Amino acid sequence: MDRVMNLDRVGYRYGSHWALRGVSMEIGAGELVGILGPNGSGKTTLLKVADRILDAHEGTLSLRGQPIQAYNRTALAREIAMVPQENHFQFVFSCLEVVLMGRFAHMGLFQFEGERDMAVALEAMEAAHCADLAQRPINQLSGGEKQRVLLARALAQEPGLVLLDEPTSFLDLRFKKEIFELLSSLKKERGLSLMIVSHDIDLSARYCDRIVLLDRGKVYAEGTPGEVLTARNVEAVYGCPVSVDNNPATGTPRVSII
Amino acid sequence: MRMEARPLTGAKVVKTCMVLTVLLVLTVILATMIGTATVTWSQLWNVLFGNSAATDPARLVIFRIRLPRIILAGLVGFSLSLGGVVFQALLRNPLADPFILGVSSGSAFGAVLGIMLGFGFTFGIPSLAFGGALLTMYLVLVLGRKNIGMESSTIILAGVIINAFFTAVIMFFIATAVDDRLHTMLFWLYGDLSQSRFGELVIAGPAVVVGFVILYCFGKHLNLITAGEEAALHLGVDVGKAKLICFLVVSLVVGLVVAFSGLIGFVGLVIPHLCRMLFGSDHRLLMPTSALGGAIFLIAADTLARTVISPSELPVGVITAFLGAPFFIYLLRKRGSRWTGS
Repeated sequence: MDRVMNLDRVGYRYGSHWALRGVSMEIGAGELVGILGPNGSGKTTLLKVADRILDAHEGTLSLRGQPIQAYNRTALAREIAMVPQENHFQFVFSCLEVVLMGRFAHMGLFQFEGERDMAVALEAMEAAHCADLAQRPINQLSGGEKQRVLLARALAQEPGLVLLDEPTSFLDLRFKKEIFELLSSLKKERGLSLMIVSHDIDLSARYCDRIVLLDRGKVYAEGTPGEVLTARNVEAVYGCPVSVDNNPATGTPRVSII
Repeated sequence: MRMEARPLTGAKVVKTCMVLTVLLVLTVILATMIGTATVTWSQLWNVLFGNSAATDPARLVIFRIRLPRIILAGLVGFSLSLGGVVFQALLRNPLADPFILGVSSGSAFGAVLGIMLGFGFTFGIPSLAFGGALLTMYLVLVLGRKNIGMESSTIILAGVIINAFFTAVIMFFIATAVDDRLHTMLFWLYGDLSQSRFGELVIAGPAVVVGFVILYCFGKHLNLITAGEEAALHLGVDVGKAKLICFLVVSLVVGLVVAFSGLIGFVGLVIPHLCRMLFGSDHRLLMPTSALGGAIFLIAADTLARTVISPSELPVGVITAFLGAPFFIYLLRKRGSRWTGS
């Protein structure tokens, strides 16, 4: 499998506190990787380091075989897109305008959005199931609708890798499942690589190809959901007694608090 | 796939700006005719396109007195309104105005010092005012800048503190001023365009144009920055660089026009809001429309300032506040949620 991104012994510290240390992992083409771990285990920091919002203090990151420093911000935005947990809009933009913002990295300085930018944006909205929201103001949407628009914006960047930072944390049961279904189909249909930080262990277990379990800035376990999500691992990392069995409907691991 | 209209095209920007430019030209013509000495339409036509004698009083009124003042008012309104839009975007704060970071108080400090020392209006006072603006800009940057990039709350706080300090210094000057300099100081502080000369336009005009062109290049960047600095980074904007360039250029432009005009409030707040309601939030349309709208508004306001108690004059800032404050309250009540975004 082609590697999209490779992290080699990456570390990042806030002041003297290492939020991330010695993290090595890779993301393959067309792979959905779930990052799990308790609060403060370094999940969000990992995403920020991967998109170079934060510069790693240790180790190396490479993107398609090139060191990540070789990309400037615009070039990076054509390779990696991010779906944030929440995005507050101070001024009013229509959803279509928001999705077109995803085209920034593909446009010249004085250029206005052309036919192709429009086509890509609308197609991204179709793919994220939010085409009907095009003319609605972004700040009047519900949480689930807004998350789909932000996903469409990320897709409009035409990236190879999409990072998602707890995109489901404000969503109800149905929307959580919808987002994961959507990610799974994007992966299959477009060969996108996805890295998702989440607190939804069961949904991650069901949809992710691989799970990376973080504990206090280090990789505690890595592998298929079945390998990683054992009662022993989850208890050790989350500090909470659990029982793990298989979901009878899907056959994937199911974690219950006891 | 559904068909959607493109939200913004270059043609739409050009068309909208042409309409506003026509309005601007009409405003300039009207403002040229109105005043203590009325200029008729035929006199104006004669002076502009015919062969009027060099000693024609109408010619003197138009070229020596009215036009320099009208053009300066236009440039100042243009810059303050543009400055308001850019600061609102950079600070992600719909209540920001071009003076929020203390450019005004630094400039006022310089001007009041110049008046105190008996400097002239053509060169001495504007130079000191501009120097004061540069000084505050530098202080805000040094105080508000953190490692890389600029964090909005820190920089606003730095602006507030610098404002407070220089206001105290200005009050000290005012309290100790005795003669008619006091009157001059107060007029300057409330905005005064009566001292305009063609020489000032030669300096301010090209600088404002260059500043506008540079800022316009950052229209798309500003759109993304209003959606959040981290979001803008993810979408491909070099936020630190874009913010620094925009901050420097807009402060220089505002500092320069303020040096010639004094502190004229409300233009930079009301006009951008009005334009945001009319034309939406895309800065590629918002910047030119606000700038032209600001020019029209300030020319109209200054025409009132020199006519309502003619032959005496009011500081133009009094007019903009009189018109601006009630209008702003009206906007807030009518469309409160439209631009605050939540």
